[in-house]
Amino acid sequence: MDTILLGLQLVFNVETLLVILAASVFGVFVGAVPGLTATMAVALLVPITFYMDPVPAIAAIVTTSAMAIFSGDIPATYLNIPGTPSSAAYVGDSHLLARSGRARETLGVNLVCSVFGGIFGTIILVFVSPSLAEVALQFSSFEYFWLALLGLSCSIFIAIGSRVKAFLSLMIGLLLSTVGLDMMSGAPRFTFGIPDLMAGINFIPVMIGMFALNELMLFYGSRGDGKAMPSLSKDSVFTQVPGHLKAYWPNMFRGGSIGTLIGALPGAGADIAAWISYAVGKGRSKQKDAYGTGHIEGIVDASSANNSGISGAWVPALVFGIPGDSITAIVIGVLYMKGMNPGPTIFMDGSGLIYALFVVFFLANLVMLPIGYAAIRSAKVFILTPRKVLMPIILCFCIVGAFSINNSITDVWIMLIIGAVASILARCDFPMAPAILGLVLGTTLENNFMSSMLKSNGDLLAFFSRPISAGLGALVILLWLSPLLTVAYKKFKNANSNKAQELS
Amino acid sequence: MRDFILGLAFMLSGCIVIYVARQYPTMASLQFGPSLFPSLIGGGFLIGGLFLSAKQVPVLKAQYAANAAERDRLLQIRPLLASLLPCVMIVFYIITSEFLGAAVSLAIGIFALMLFRKASLLLSLVVSILASLIIYFIFSTYLLIPLPEGLMRFWG
Repeated sequence: MDTILLGLQLVFNVETLLVILAASVFGVFVGAVPGLTATMAVALLVPITFYMDPVPAIAAIVTTSAMAIFSGDIPATYLNIPGTPSSAAYVGDSHLLARSGRARETLGVNLVCSVFGGIFGTIILVFVSPSLAEVALQFSSFEYFWLALLGLSCSIFIAIGSRVKAFLSLMIGLLLSTVGLDMMSGAPRFTFGIPDLMAGINFIPVMIGMFALNELMLFYGSRGDGKAMPSLSKDSVFTQVPGHLKAYWPNMFRGGSIGTLIGALPGAGADIAAWISYAVGKGRSKQKDAYGTGHIEGIVDASSANNSGISGAWVPALVFGIPGDSITAIVIGVLYMKGMNPGPTIFMDGSGLIYALFVVFFLANLVMLPIGYAAIRSAKVFILTPRKVLMPIILCFCIVGAFSINNSITDVWIMLIIGAVASILARCDFPMAPAILGLVLGTTLENNFMSSMLKSNGDLLAFFSRPISAGLGALVILLWLSPLLTVAYKKFKNANSNKAQELS
Repeated sequence: MRDFILGLAFMLSGCIVIYVARQYPTMASLQFGPSLFPSLIGGGFLIGGLFLSAKQVPVLKAQYAANAAERDRLLQIRPLLASLLPCVMIVFYIITSEFLGAAVSLAIGIFALMLFRKASLLLSLVVSILASLIIYFIFSTYLLIPLPEGLMRFWG
């Protein structure tokens, strides 16, 4: 009980509450500007959090990401341009409703479903994480190796698009994680005689390069400014919401559950959660044909899922130190910087930090209601900010932010090189999430593999000698064999149906 | 075409990574050491690159035969060069910030980038000066980052 009170004390103070308020306004702004994603918002925020206490730092990240995911719906509804990828699944429905004069009503539903999804995911986080942490206490380096490999494998198999590209993206992240002194032998790797690289590549310049600089390069390579602005509607934000919620409350629970589950899978973020929830909702709906034609039901499904996905991604991040998406990958880095080592012991350190984090989640989602309402009412301000003014300023933040981590110009070079490479890869449809996961989990994977090998005197069979380790290993192997098994199953099914046709 | 070239680039990178990794020492107690993971990653680059390139061969053949429009698309140099502008600004900052100072270098960068996207001269001037000063003071005064002072030294 004392720990819970301590946690509450860490959150309910002027500094943290002001940070939550400022971060929510920042999140709304970044999310509502098309082209700036929630991940980019968090990446830009990290250099600032570097100078904060642990709780305000985490509060800033949680609030920004939750707000950005919601506010991505604002340009999606008015301009047919999703502010963040998480709003892409239902952009067609939202925009068609806006064109029929129901923009604020649509955004009101979005807002309430986002708040519901966020709180639903947080409740799961609060109740599931501590129990999982007790199991995780039994884990040794063998289990952590398999778990890291499972997370990395998921990021390939869940990625949208080519798996080969996702695999190569992952390899880039893993290669970056090997830079610096080897933990076991002390030998420098890929440092090229640069002293700043001895400690490894800091993940913040990499994040800024991959997400912010990459977007900036895409913007300057394009011609549009995304400011085509239809007339804004004047309908009510909340008047119609109770009716919609009464009709579609099962969709909210289903969306929340799917979002939390998908969010918890490493590599799958809020955007994938929204797509899957929308598809499942459409499959089970009585009005399948109405989906995509300006139908509220699909919006309820997907906007509940994307915000619950944000909370869901924190479950593996806190319990195992395995990030659920690119935002939690950044968060894990921040947690380490703040001395809050993610893993089962975070639930038992008695400092109340974990309860503070849970409270922050509830607050971040609750504050979304008033701030989101204000954002809907003043949507014009967000959407009309010209990107030709905004983008150069963001670039300056990127440069100074990368420099400020170690007060070293090497980090600016790293950001530049990574951003340029990421831009080329993004143009060729390479997903970025596997690279981030590779960078964050690479060291965990290698160190646990090496220490397991030392423990077992180089015996690879030791990775299957413990029950949980063997189970996780089998899961990884099954995952890698799944494409072959799917092909074999399809062939078998086709052969059977052909036989049945011949017989009939 | 792009995927084919990228595949080859990944294969080349894989070879380089494996070559560099071979020079790392092995550990006395084990048969492998710091070279293991980089070598595996290099192998991953090679295999992934090979798959990526190989998948493009039939597509390339078909495109070449049909004299596809893809070649025209590749010739669109201007957007490519324009996308490099943020990188140019970063290099400009790295080179000039020591003697011009962070604030002045940032201001020049913002001004140039806004003019490139056809913002008005006055707006560009005002935004670049204000934004660079705000960023400079947030980071140097509030967050105590030792940003290069340069010409700001004479300000006082």
